[in-house]
Amino acid sequence: MTAADDGLFEDVLAAVSEPAREGEGGEVYERRGTSLELTEDDRGFHASVSTERGFAVRLFRSGRTSFAASGPSGARTLAGEARLLLARARTRRGARPSPAPPGGAPVPAAPPARADEIAARGLLVAFRRALASASDGAALLAETSLLLGARTERVATTAGRDASFGSSTATLVATVAARTGVGRTSARVVAAAARPEELALARLAHHAVDRVLLPLRGRPLEPGRWGLLLDPFVASPVVARLAPAFFDEDEDGLLAARTRGGRDAFASPALTLVDGSSAPGGPVLTTHDGEGTPQGRTVVLDRGRLAARLTDVAAAQRLGTSPTGNALRRAFSEPPAIGITNFFVDPSSGVPPLDLLRALAKGFYAAVLISRPEVDLAADRFRLHVAGYWVEKGRATDAVSETLLSGRLSDFLRSVAAVGDDLKFIPAAGGGAGSPTLFVPKWKG
Amino acid sequence: MGSPRAPTILSLSDDVTVFRDDAEDAVRIVSGMLRRGEGGEAFRERRRAITWNATEAGLLAPAIVEERGTAVRVSRGKESLLVAGDGDGPATLHDVVREASRRAGGSPFFKTRAAPGPRADRGPSGPDEEARATQLASALARALPDPRGLSLTLAISRVSTSRAVVTARAFVPCGEATRLEASGLIRRPGASRMFAFQSSAAFPAACEGLARALAEATRPVPTHRAPEGTVDVVLSPEAASVFWHEAVGHPLEADGGERTSVLTRVARASVAPPGYFVTCDPTRRELPGSYLADDEGTPARPVPLLEDGRVAGVLTDQRTAGADSNGHGRCGDFRRPPRPRLSALVVAAGRATRDELLDACGTGLYVREISAGHTDAESGRFSLFVESADLLRRGRLGAPVAPFLLTSDVLTALRHLHGEPGEVSAPASGLGLCVKRGEPLPVGGASPAILLRGLAAVPGRA
Repeated sequence: MTAADDGLFEDVLAAVSEPAREGEGGEVYERRGTSLELTEDDRGFHASVSTERGFAVRLFRSGRTSFAASGPSGARTLAGEARLLLARARTRRGARPSPAPPGGAPVPAAPPARADEIAARGLLVAFRRALASASDGAALLAETSLLLGARTERVATTAGRDASFGSSTATLVATVAARTGVGRTSARVVAAAARPEELALARLAHHAVDRVLLPLRGRPLEPGRWGLLLDPFVASPVVARLAPAFFDEDEDGLLAARTRGGRDAFASPALTLVDGSSAPGGPVLTTHDGEGTPQGRTVVLDRGRLAARLTDVAAAQRLGTSPTGNALRRAFSEPPAIGITNFFVDPSSGVPPLDLLRALAKGFYAAVLISRPEVDLAADRFRLHVAGYWVEKGRATDAVSETLLSGRLSDFLRSVAAVGDDLKFIPAAGGGAGSPTLFVPKWKG
Repeated sequence: MGSPRAPTILSLSDDVTVFRDDAEDAVRIVSGMLRRGEGGEAFRERRRAITWNATEAGLLAPAIVEERGTAVRVSRGKESLLVAGDGDGPATLHDVVREASRRAGGSPFFKTRAAPGPRADRGPSGPDEEARATQLASALARALPDPRGLSLTLAISRVSTSRAVVTARAFVPCGEATRLEASGLIRRPGASRMFAFQSSAAFPAACEGLARALAEATRPVPTHRAPEGTVDVVLSPEAASVFWHEAVGHPLEADGGERTSVLTRVARASVAPPGYFVTCDPTRRELPGSYLADDEGTPARPVPLLEDGRVAGVLTDQRTAGADSNGHGRCGDFRRPPRPRLSALVVAAGRATRDELLDACGTGLYVREISAGHTDAESGRFSLFVESADLLRRGRLGAPVAPFLLTSDVLTALRHLHGEPGEVSAPASGLGLCVKRGEPLPVGGASPAILLRGLAAVPGRA
């Protein structure tokens, strides 16, 4: 008997379904996964192979919830543990098990994918070559790590929902260093995709080279007023920081206040923000969320105006809408929480980035972030410590080692005049955040 | 590398009881897995956490989680392989050893035996947990007597972990630890801040510490901007622990190679004034991050990092130092390979009182709390995110200032340390988890107050 058909899931579901008290509902979640991680540094080569199987139970009664999780050995006791905790839980509006989707039928669980170690080693070699080619040997690769993961998940509720689904991820993390007469620096760069063949290795190598060499080879940029281009690797972390405004209960009031209850625009008409679990190039490619809700594409900001919120079952219940399928489980051992899948600036109205560059008569192209970006929705401020290139008449004339871009976040979002068509993603907050190149005609830096 | 000797059960502490049932068998299995020229070990972990989501209204949804896992690692030359699976019993050990041997091209010689069924020893979750929840709720109530205008999103967890390493010759318990952790976000209208807390003290004392830290963290955020530019700062003992962690601890972790860190490039050089002694001491049981043996089975021992201001040592594991590892190979969980990581940095006290340090500083800032930090060991640049500080004028404390960032480089900061540290080396309760390469680990620290000159202050939380 294999792990897949040992009946453990059904046993746990049966224990959850035993009606201890009227009005009690429950949900059982199972995750099975495999991962292969290859790490290469100057001390050698390391491979990690891991298998995982975990169960989680959530119980609901009169707005109360409790959660218990364990591996297979403790799965049969989870319902009892959760019942014990439920008695001590306090109420949360809208908390209830996911209802059965119309016409929903259990989908057979896909077997965990077996990663090909030789192909994975090939990707590490390809990245090393791409970095050497992009930097002419000036950037050193201190460590590279490639993680390939595949998992299948199943969610069933006492309300009749039963959904099985699978997903895979590929993440490449590189620590790159540069040593020149001016100084030394190192940086960690990350690329993530739903499949290993979608990892943009050459693009990541160029980004890594800029990240470590620009701070050493450029000159600081004096404050001034000029045009501004934000590379997708600079814009995407800012987009990631905006995401909580579209699902966090505490940020909801803030967003409403900023836009006078939705009457004013939140951003320029050039900006449309979307969450989609199957966006091309995005690191997330799934069909259902952690509560078994089918996922789709949700436009949260339509041409600068608030359009929707990202919800799980409980939040949708409170808002009186349908859940958008954004209940995320980072691990089987964590209860689902609202989050993003692929959250990105829609590039469908974008133009090629070279056209944006040509439109920049005199300005700054922010190519890399040097430190963590500060984006404070509450204070309506942002600050980006960046390096890049000074551009005149559409051509890069000088390298810029550092400059600070800061100001009011609302002003910045309303100043974006155009977007590129070069959407790129970074891994962020359990999902991915993405943006194409952003063009701001005038900004006081 | 099969060993004919009888397996050894190392008794680093008698109070470590888990994983002992099949210890001798486990040693034989690991011994049988390794071929000539190979090194390796098995690692077992059991982690149980009860987590309460806390808001300004009190404790909300509870969650209980137990994870058990086993991993084996096989090393040959410059290559190593780790295979991990769920469960911490004999059956899982058999499975992961078989898989590791298959992938490494060997064949383990053990007979498959019927594995005993899983034991229902998930620990007390009835009245004990209920009593703890009550203690925690009352600590929250004490911390927030008037929560109007506050919004809290905190996860408060009581985490118990047990770890053991099985080598080809011995069963080595790494230790059992229980700690109270809290992390999350505190919001006020127009402002928000991160909050992190960790304590290894007994539960009532830990709750008391959490209440104090939370009461401090929920004070209104000052609007007075911190001065911009070069400043002199006196760091409180808690804030100083974060400084040592970032400026000395991380640059002396051996994983970067000999010449890749600003401090390993100046080994044995005098980088700080005489009188500064910094030791990474995982044997301090009262500090988070302590252990009996590291996650490769090397017994824990204190490692001096700065002695009288000189760089004195590097934190190593078996991959970076082989058999000379000084017991700092640590992993976030059983699925990750151990790497050299610091545990608890202990700084020896000096003779200066706090008032003497404030006087010596003159005009500057007194930093009470640093919520996070970051170091680039290659360049030596570090950043400290200051949540709570007071202005200092002519040695006297003034108005509290809004959050700001302190930056400098390690060598400059150490060179400009005041000659005398504070007179009391106090444990830091605010140190949370240290995240490196995405792997969180509990760390601790104890330091006296210190005076640092010439750091760069940048207002805001960038």
